[in-house]
Amino acid sequence: MAASCALLGAGAAQSQEADGAQKEQSQLSRILEGVSFDSALAYYREDGRIQAIEPVVNLSKTFAGGEIATLNITFDSLSGASPNGALPSNVPQTFASPSGTSLITGRHLYTIAPGRLPADPNYQDDRIAVAGEWELPLSRLTHLSLGGKLSGEDDFISATLSASIAQDFNEKNTTVLLGINNEFDSLRPIGGAPVPDSDYAAFDKDGTKSKDGLGVLLGLTQVMTRRWLSELNLSWDRFHGYLNDPYKITSVLDASGNTLGYVYENRPDERTRRSVYLENRVAWSNVSAGLSLRYMQDDWQIHSETAQAHVHFSFANRQQYLEPSMRWYRQTAADFYTPWLTEEKPVTGFQASDSRLGAFHAFTYGVKYAYKLSSDAGLAGSEFSVRLEYYQQIQDHRLAAPVLLQNLDLYPGLKAILVQFGWRF
Amino acid sequence: MRKPYLYLAAALSVFAFESGCASLGVKAYDRDLLSRDEMRLDANPVDGAIDEHLYFSKEASSGGRSYAGGGCGCN
Repeated sequence: MAASCALLGAGAAQSQEADGAQKEQSQLSRILEGVSFDSALAYYREDGRIQAIEPVVNLSKTFAGGEIATLNITFDSLSGASPNGALPSNVPQTFASPSGTSLITGRHLYTIAPGRLPADPNYQDDRIAVAGEWELPLSRLTHLSLGGKLSGEDDFISATLSASIAQDFNEKNTTVLLGINNEFDSLRPIGGAPVPDSDYAAFDKDGTKSKDGLGVLLGLTQVMTRRWLSELNLSWDRFHGYLNDPYKITSVLDASGNTLGYVYENRPDERTRRSVYLENRVAWSNVSAGLSLRYMQDDWQIHSETAQAHVHFSFANRQQYLEPSMRWYRQTAADFYTPWLTEEKPVTGFQASDSRLGAFHAFTYGVKYAYKLSSDAGLAGSEFSVRLEYYQQIQDHRLAAPVLLQNLDLYPGLKAILVQFGWRF
Repeated sequence: MRKPYLYLAAALSVFAFESGCASLGVKAYDRDLLSRDEMRLDANPVDGAIDEHLYFSKEASSGGRSYAGGGCGCN
């Protein structure tokens, strides 16, 4: 009797525990209802230069009224050797890191061997960015979206506000979007912001600088057929303020190629860009594909074309997919870009040797593999993925080098890999 | 420079074509293929953001798909 009472008591306790666990589970599922979580850990490495580790978390929740709240947190840790803009030379070259105040005292100095691309080997920067967005339906066919982003680095703080309104037409087959964003940046370069065009050896630097940007985006999304979706965006933005890279210098050469010295770069303080972007997506039973094209131009006379394509193969009852991708990019040089200066002053009054403002083309080859757990498994509906990318830049329109530099690689380009692990549900 | 005008003309033609044809599109019950995750234009926002950050810091152009900007890119 006592044994059976004990058994009954134990059974009741177990049942209460099970009820409690069930309640907790239902509370948890109520909280998680409408929540989507997306995360990634990316590792980026350039051939002999910068490496970066970047964890990202993206969390969003859809509420009963149709509102969607999104929070994104991104962290970057960069280290390695960052090119300073100077040319390779046949003789050793000595530079000071940005915190240096002299080219003579031993602290903060680095020496580049003959033939090597000058790069500060002690580059280190961390960035954290937090972005939020609140999307709310104004009616069945109209959505308003408000967003903000804060990004901070050791030497840079950026704040962006954005707003957009989207209107559906034609039984939700057509969507028109109008968006605006405003960015405010504050730069506090390590060692101070150099006076543009000043002699590198003079360490002529002053304090904090700022820039701000305004952008407008007009977008049209159209369902073309049962299999085909199309998007067209027109965008315009204007930045104003300190647009120099405070750590970039330009070599000054004589006619033979001897380095006479270096000056800090000097970019215009205003830049306006316009772009047209067209994307098409097509679906078949277990395969879909996307192709996007972008043309961009700015008043620095940079014109760029970008084409990006991917194919998505689903298999194993749509629990796995493989997504190879390819991107091609080409840009012309800014009208003030010059790999080096001579003793004559540049025609435009501005100058920069930053290869990112030069003419080049680039390829990206990528592949992504993802595995989705079935919805009745432990981490219901989770998707785990791995993504690999190879990126290469090849510089175009190379100027004939002065005689002393003809045996050197003055246009080394860039090679980089990206490895990314992802988890989302 | 004729090229920008050619691009703009092409873009406007597509725009006019797309917006002018109300017969384009499908009924809600025919959206089985379009409603798949991979057919969303922002199907992989985290991948897109990581790529955008890479291209923003290594190239002179950025944005187009959404707003540009958002960082120093000093490396």
